[in-house]
Amino acid sequence: MKKIKGTPLRVSGSALVAISFGMFASSGVALADGGGGALGLLVSAFLTLSIGALMFGSSSVSARADTPVALASVAWSWLAVSIAGALPFLMTGSIAWAHFDNALFESVSGFTCTGSTILSDIEAVPRGVLFFRSMMQWFGGMGLIVLAVAVLPALKIGGLELIANEAPGPTADRLTPRVTDTARRLWLLYGGITLAMIAALMVVGLSPYDAASHAFTTVATGGFSPYNASIAHFDSLLAEFVIIAGMIFCGANFSLHWYAFNRGPKAYHRVSELRWYLGLIVGSTFILVWLNFGNLSLGRNIRESFFYAVSLGTSTGFGTSDFTVWAPAAQIVLLTLMIVGGMTGSTAGGMKILRLQILVRYSFREVIRARHPKAVVPIRMGAVSIDEQIAAKAVGFILLYMGLIVFGGLTLAGLGVEPVTAFSGAVSAIGNAGPGLGDAGPVSNFLVFPRLGRVILMFLMMFGRLEVFPVMLMFVAFARAVSRSRYKVRQ
Amino acid sequence: MTPRPSRGGPSLGRLKIRITRGLYVVKLALRGYSNGRVESVGAVTAGIVALCVWLMFLVCALFDNARGGGVWLELLAVGAAALAIGLFILRYARVPKYLSTARLFRALASGTLASLAFVMIGLLATETTGSVTLALVEAASTVTGTNASTIDVSKIEPGVMLLRALGQWVAGAALIVILVRVLPHLGVGGLDADGGVATRSARRLSPKSSGTVFRLLLLYIVLTGLIGMGYALAGMPLVDSAMHALTTISTGGFSTQPGSIGAFQSGAIEWVGIVGMFIAGISLPLIFLALRRKDPKRFWRSYEFRFYSLAVLVAAAFDAIFTRQTLTLEIVRSSLFKVTSAASTTGYIDSVSYLPSAGGQSLVIIVMLIGGMSASMTGGFKVMRLLAISSYIGRELKRTIHPTAVLPIRVGHSSIGQTAFSKIVGEIFLSLLVLIPGALILTNGGLDVEGAFSFALSCLSNFGPAFGSAAQMNHLSELSGLGQIFSAGIMIVGRISITPVLVVLAFMAEPLVRMLRRKSFGHRKMAVR
Repeated sequence: MKKIKGTPLRVSGSALVAISFGMFASSGVALADGGGGALGLLVSAFLTLSIGALMFGSSSVSARADTPVALASVAWSWLAVSIAGALPFLMTGSIAWAHFDNALFESVSGFTCTGSTILSDIEAVPRGVLFFRSMMQWFGGMGLIVLAVAVLPALKIGGLELIANEAPGPTADRLTPRVTDTARRLWLLYGGITLAMIAALMVVGLSPYDAASHAFTTVATGGFSPYNASIAHFDSLLAEFVIIAGMIFCGANFSLHWYAFNRGPKAYHRVSELRWYLGLIVGSTFILVWLNFGNLSLGRNIRESFFYAVSLGTSTGFGTSDFTVWAPAAQIVLLTLMIVGGMTGSTAGGMKILRLQILVRYSFREVIRARHPKAVVPIRMGAVSIDEQIAAKAVGFILLYMGLIVFGGLTLAGLGVEPVTAFSGAVSAIGNAGPGLGDAGPVSNFLVFPRLGRVILMFLMMFGRLEVFPVMLMFVAFARAVSRSRYKVRQ
Repeated sequence: MTPRPSRGGPSLGRLKIRITRGLYVVKLALRGYSNGRVESVGAVTAGIVALCVWLMFLVCALFDNARGGGVWLELLAVGAAALAIGLFILRYARVPKYLSTARLFRALASGTLASLAFVMIGLLATETTGSVTLALVEAASTVTGTNASTIDVSKIEPGVMLLRALGQWVAGAALIVILVRVLPHLGVGGLDADGGVATRSARRLSPKSSGTVFRLLLLYIVLTGLIGMGYALAGMPLVDSAMHALTTISTGGFSTQPGSIGAFQSGAIEWVGIVGMFIAGISLPLIFLALRRKDPKRFWRSYEFRFYSLAVLVAAAFDAIFTRQTLTLEIVRSSLFKVTSAASTTGYIDSVSYLPSAGGQSLVIIVMLIGGMSASMTGGFKVMRLLAISSYIGRELKRTIHPTAVLPIRVGHSSIGQTAFSKIVGEIFLSLLVLIPGALILTNGGLDVEGAFSFALSCLSNFGPAFGSAAQMNHLSELSGLGQIFSAGIMIVGRISITPVLVVLAFMAEPLVRMLRRKSFGHRKMAVR
């Protein structure tokens, strides 16, 4: 049989095969729990496996291997797994077939590690399906880690090649000479952290099921929880601390962790992005404590402020209380954290700390230039001065990011959503944070958005997760393929 | 030698010569008088502003007296004080021979602060506002052309009413002078970018910048007169027409009625308002050139104008759709009014009774943030900057596919240099850095998230009205003192842009930094020894 030459098809096939194993594992959990949803999960797994295997087997890597093809492969495979991820919800009856878009929303939210949900009663869904829901985020994080550390910097997307300047030792995208080796090491680290998290959560008293479910979504900075009250369900300070530590760790650059793992903690010292990241979390915590002073008891204030500064600063989105009843100023701080997000090369979303650093330096340079018009002022990050082209890319990314927030917020408001809910929903979706403000807070769900609004949010999640440019280039590659086939037909 | 043909007709030519000669005499007299020992362009600017303020207060006092108001004496006294201060400063200060960039920045800041201080004193002296901070925010609204006020206009004296309207108009005129004579040297916010962008196109009007200022001011006055006539013909009382004309062309937005333009309950007046606000959002040099050369196609040839008009129409169409009501002429007019009011950052409110939809509110915020064309009287970021940003994003997308391609940032047929673009980006992000702390402080006065953000954005764009809890008229007076000071600060940042403010602050901090450096250096020296 002649194979179709298409890298995106082949990559998507392999991704589908990978997640089908997750479905099998979840059906095992469902069986152990008493069988609820096991059959649906098994059927979904077989369907996904067979389609994935067919796609993988019937295609080969295309001769052309440029940036649009690479990015299109990433984007199409994310789309494919998102569609497949909707199957377990539909097959088990957790979401009715008439609401296929809701199942897709849950799946997209899972694989993009966002954590927004449309389930109004999470605990009514079979535990096997909920386990798969957490696993989706874990798989999403797994793909993301390679994408963020190895693929996007190599393709120089949005100024991400700067990771090279920041990471100690050899450049970040070259942990090893081959991307596959890099991926293997990163996954090893990712798996190791997940196991450590599961163990730590079990030590503080969580059941193996709860520990695994929460470890999957903490490591992926996703934020899904199998309970309606999220982390507040356990009401355990120790569990919160373990999860906070996990979120902070996974919101930081994974290549940095790899070097620190190999060469000791001194690897962390040189990185200015890490200082900014931790500084932002600590600073926000202090501001939140100050703003919530008097509204909450001191102990609860510190606990909740720190938790939310970390949860939204790493774009995880776990909840311990309803922050939409906090003072408006505190909500603005949380919204700012959602926009900024975590470090580059991590599973966190948002526009990333590194870009914020560039932006601040880029903007303040203009003040110096205004004072001394003929001065040549380089943009410095620590001891390194950044190439103008890289800074330009980072700025371009931020502008596009802001533009998408405005577009999303405006469209949602146009559909009748109250402006704060609309704009914070757009910020949360593109930053892959999870909850928003207004009616879309942590104790609510995204059914407050109209049907078309949720479709827009899904697109924003994809845009945010894949660093905006790949999704746009997915369409470029598609248009190019169409025009090429037309040309062939004409000939 | 062939005599040069007169372009503007004999009467206009004579008038121009007379005005130019008059201004030249004033300039010489000022230069002769202002020849003190202290070399400070900032002080001279403050002195000139004080003289202008005296004239303004004199007119307001006369008007108040003629209309039977009770504050003409106070206005006269503040005017006299301004005159005395102005003459005193000018006597002991003089313009330096060399005008460095830093000195121009200082002049800009001192001019703004002086006008702010005099208007504030005027409002306090006439007991229009109760507290100092409220007077500050009212003065900032006047000077920056923002329609954010707590004053009940039905209860104030005619002189104060004129002071507010005239203050916005004079501030608009001052903006023309700044635009032509100061900004090209400073290159603030990338508005001096290549090819047809604000200041460069403004400089092209005449070989000398003073000629350009004269032409633009003349156009400003003529447009004010035309809009005033329009209002009067549409049925507005004469005094109201004049005052609304002053605040329409300057995109200030202050009204003589508590319900703004909508209080007249007249469709015709609102249509005149729409046209007036739309014109105020157009680049003045563009209007001048199109009128001078009798070439209306010049408008259409301007890429920025095309985008501006299209954006207004599209936004109005969406606003009408968002209302989810049957399309009537009233809805069309209301949507157009709202959008032109936002795009020109005037802040007038129309007469419709229904509440704005969520989409309509968001649309108004976005449109006011963009503002009108560059070199117009509007606030906001300006359409030209938005076009440059869009072009830049497109270029970055293309560069992702073709990493080695050399692609310019194009707006229409002209390309924008990287340096100019950096200034645009710097301006936008530095403004955002002011916005977030601003919104945080505004929540302190009881505003909710929507109210705080929309009001901070509204102040930054020099628009005025806001949504959420800031939609109420008295929200400004309920803010804390710090909130009011911050609102005034954001308005000023919106008008003169953030860069001069930061440069002046950096200049003020320089002695402190130098002292700290000297200290740390001294310590280091000691350590070495």
